Amino acid sequence: MTKPPIDLLQGTVDVLILRTLAWEPMHGYGVSRFIRQRTEGVLTIESAALYQALHRLERKKWIQAEWGLSENNRRAKYYSLTVEGRQQLRAEAATWRTYAEAVFKVLEPV
Amino acid sequence: MIGRVRRYLRFPWRASSRRRADLEDELRFYFDMRTRELVEQGMGEADARREAVREFGDVEYTKRYCLAEDAMSSREERRTDFVAELRQDIAHSWKAFRRAPGFVAVALITLALGIGANTAIFSVVNGLLLRDLPFGEPDRLVRVWGTNQGSGAVRSQLSAGDFVDLRTRQRSFTTLGAFSWGGGTYIGTGDPVRLAGARVDAKVFTALGVRPYLGRTFAVGEDSAGVNPTIVLGFNAWRRVFGSDSTIVGKSINLSGRSRTVIGVLPASFFFPTMAEAEIFTPLDLTPVLRDVNRTRKFHNLGVIGRLRPGATLAQGSSELSSIMRQLERDFPESNSGMGVAAVGMREAVVGDTRPALLVVLGASLLVLLIACANVAGMLLSRAVSRRQELAVRAALGAGRARLVRQMMTESLVLALCGGAVGLGLALLGTRALVASAADRLPAAGQVTVDATVLLTALLVTVASGLVFGLVPAVAASRGIQLALKDAGRGASAGVSRHRMRTALVTGQLALAVMLLVGAGLLVRSLVGLQNRDLGYSIDSTLTFEVILVGDRYDSAAAQDQFFDALYTRIAALPSVVAVGGSGNIPMRGGAMASLAIDGRPQPEGKLPEVGYQPVSDDLFKAMGVPLKRGRLFGPQDNKDAPPVVILSESLVRSFWPNGDPIGARVRLGPNPNDPWMTVVGVVGDVNMGVADNSRPTAYVSGRQDHWGGMAIVVRTSTDPMSLLPAVRREVRAIDPTIPVAAAHSMKQVQSMQLTDRRLPMQLMAAFALLALVLAAVGVYGVMAYSVAARTREIGVRVALGAQPKNVFGMVVRQGLGAAGAGLTLGLLGAAALGRVMTSLLYGVKPTDAPTLIGVAAVLLAVVLAACLVPARRAVRVDPLEALRSE
Repeated sequence: MTKPPIDLLQGTVDVLILRTLAWEPMHGYGVSRFIRQRTEGVLTIESAALYQALHRLERKKWIQAEWGLSENNRRAKYYSLTVEGRQQLRAEAATWRTYAEAVFKVLEPV
Repeated sequence: MIGRVRRYLRFPWRASSRRRADLEDELRFYFDMRTRELVEQGMGEADARREAVREFGDVEYTKRYCLAEDAMSSREERRTDFVAELRQDIAHSWKAFRRAPGFVAVALITLALGIGANTAIFSVVNGLLLRDLPFGEPDRLVRVWGTNQGSGAVRSQLSAGDFVDLRTRQRSFTTLGAFSWGGGTYIGTGDPVRLAGARVDAKVFTALGVRPYLGRTFAVGEDSAGVNPTIVLGFNAWRRVFGSDSTIVGKSINLSGRSRTVIGVLPASFFFPTMAEAEIFTPLDLTPVLRDVNRTRKFHNLGVIGRLRPGATLAQGSSELSSIMRQLERDFPESNSGMGVAAVGMREAVVGDTRPALLVVLGASLLVLLIACANVAGMLLSRAVSRRQELAVRAALGAGRARLVRQMMTESLVLALCGGAVGLGLALLGTRALVASAADRLPAAGQVTVDATVLLTALLVTVASGLVFGLVPAVAASRGIQLALKDAGRGASAGVSRHRMRTALVTGQLALAVMLLVGAGLLVRSLVGLQNRDLGYSIDSTLTFEVILVGDRYDSAAAQDQFFDALYTRIAALPSVVAVGGSGNIPMRGGAMASLAIDGRPQPEGKLPEVGYQPVSDDLFKAMGVPLKRGRLFGPQDNKDAPPVVILSESLVRSFWPNGDPIGARVRLGPNPNDPWMTVVGVVGDVNMGVADNSRPTAYVSGRQDHWGGMAIVVRTSTDPMSLLPAVRREVRAIDPTIPVAAAHSMKQVQSMQLTDRRLPMQLMAAFALLALVLAAVGVYGVMAYSVAARTREIGVRVALGAQPKNVFGMVVRQGLGAAGAGLTLGLLGAAALGRVMTSLLYGVKPTDAPTLIGVAAVLLAVVLAACLVPARRAVRVDPLEALRSE
């Protein structure tokens, strides 16, 4: 928790959620915790934005929701990646990689 | 109703309240978990919860956002679910149909016939009554007819003088054009060909707004004398006679011995309104008539077509023309008293006559469709019985009632669409057959095609019939489900209401069939009446054809006499010829009119009376079989140099010589006061002129004293008249090879052609009535068979208690006759209404014609009895033990 968190663009939130759900189906709280732990606090997604994204992605049929039981036996809404979502993730990841590489090529000589 | 259905439809998806609760649950879970995490990190419970909410962001906005997204997903899901269920229903229907091929076949044939008949008739109605006529801005086109108060004629021709005055004085029309009859004989390399045609002034094609297919139409001034003679060809003549020669424009052709330059060919869609048979057009020159003071206003031979100025209405145009005619009446009382005009919209002028028949036939085809729908509905009701278990299982598995109704409606619609597809095929064939059988009688037959309007209507009719025959059984079946679930398929109570519904359907069917049968019966009797009425002459074994003399060599009366004398002599010499004669027109083709003045009698006020006028050969009356009542017939002595003589028809004599003896009296025919008086030498029987006309008072003159340059020849034979035609052609060719034998028919055929426009509606009505009867019989059979099957146990009990076979038989037949009686009563009431609509199509029969009504009742009862026979016999054979055990 040393570096200040970076604000994320909407598209970034979407791709991070898709990547996270690619591991396994998770509820919203799980997704938020996973991203926080994975990036060691560098990327924090405001939970409001996270839930909005989850419902948006569900509408786009990239993820689907199902009610299940959580670790502590509570009713929780689990999201999982759909086939379309997986394709979308692949496409967005490729775009991100190209984008990042291009940015690095400019920044490198510094 | 719609609202209720929609509420049912929404049921399987998440309602908005449900979505809101789900979202609350989801967020509560988050806050609880986050709070617990923060507590684990050492925060106090209350602080942790506050922190969780704070770091979350805008909770309210998120909720609204998520609910909006959820609502959208839900809507989309509902759509995809609907499609999925529809596919499921269609697949289900398909499977159900494959299990019952017999039912499907009967239903499909029934629907295909109903929909096919409707579509075919509608395509004719569409082509003639709905589609635009193939002219530019057809709504502004007007046909102007002459009217004559004296003779009561409302659709006669105008005189050249009146036409020119109308044209120059009127302000409501951009153009008024005149035309008259004017065919010709095309003399090419092969046999000469008679072509029907019109002479038109330069304004006619402009008024019609026709763009030629090749070349051009007439220019102003081309219709005056001394200009190089020209001709415009109709598309059919161009294709048939000139082999679609694309270089024909500019070539010269020989028409009736005169060379004419072809200047244009009209498009295929073009037909000449109110003279559809015309296929060649030559310029009309009015100058000679306008110069001849005896003909200027007394020779009525012009048809007039006008195009209304933009903004002018038909009523304005009509009243303006009428007021000009009233002025002419004052200026020229001797020629114009009682003469007026009637301006009629072009569509009305072209198809007005066919409209009532078309609408009656369309109505009949709709009734057939209703009967077909009732039949299929009845079949579906019966089917619902055997499917009760299946539906009950589906209901038990959670399908709501609306869902089941929807499934059954889908089945009905699938059935209807399949039937509609087959029906469309039938309609395509039917339309072609209809046009082929009536092409020469239908104005604008080329307009009749299966176009987008027809296809769309067919689809609408199909879907509507699917809904009509599907809804009743679907609702009945879904209502039956609850009962079915309760008593596992034995439920007689659901059966009772369903049976009542079927009986009602059958009664309705029988009623409709009765209406159609009565309609058809009345038309048949009209036609028989028309065919069998006394014409005043005999049409058996009689051949008729037309000969028009063409060329300068026939300009002299002597040359014409010589030709016809040779013709009559040669034909009379042929074997099996009894008599041969010639006349200006045969009676069924109408004829000329002339004014009649009688020597020694005071001139009547205003105009002279008009009578029919025919030049005839010496032997015409013998050939026609018209009896001589008084005096003598014409002979070779009544020639050009002899004193003029005339023979009168009985009805003419009755009107003007109450004592019945006109022999020796002198009359003058025609408008010219300088013509000599003619002496009456004979009286002959009346002849019937045609369908509309009865006998017309007629004066006959000798063909040797008035030469028309052409005659309709009548040959009475002792054999099949058409077999004589080759010999006749040979004789005509032997006299002059450039003269064609045209319009050759037996007189029977001529009459038959005359009656085509009455026969066609009659045949269609009869076909529809027969179809309706068969369908109704199938309906009766179905309901009786079902009723016997459902009452097997009851019948078993009755037999066990001592009922005789004849009692059982009677019971079933009585039930059938009950439906027949009700149907008959309703149907006769309906037929009374139908008869009123049909009056204009009837001839010599009243809509309440007793023989027709009795006949229909007898036919209906016989058919119903026949339909009851098999179920009744089955009932008789019920074995009481078997029946009681099986339950």
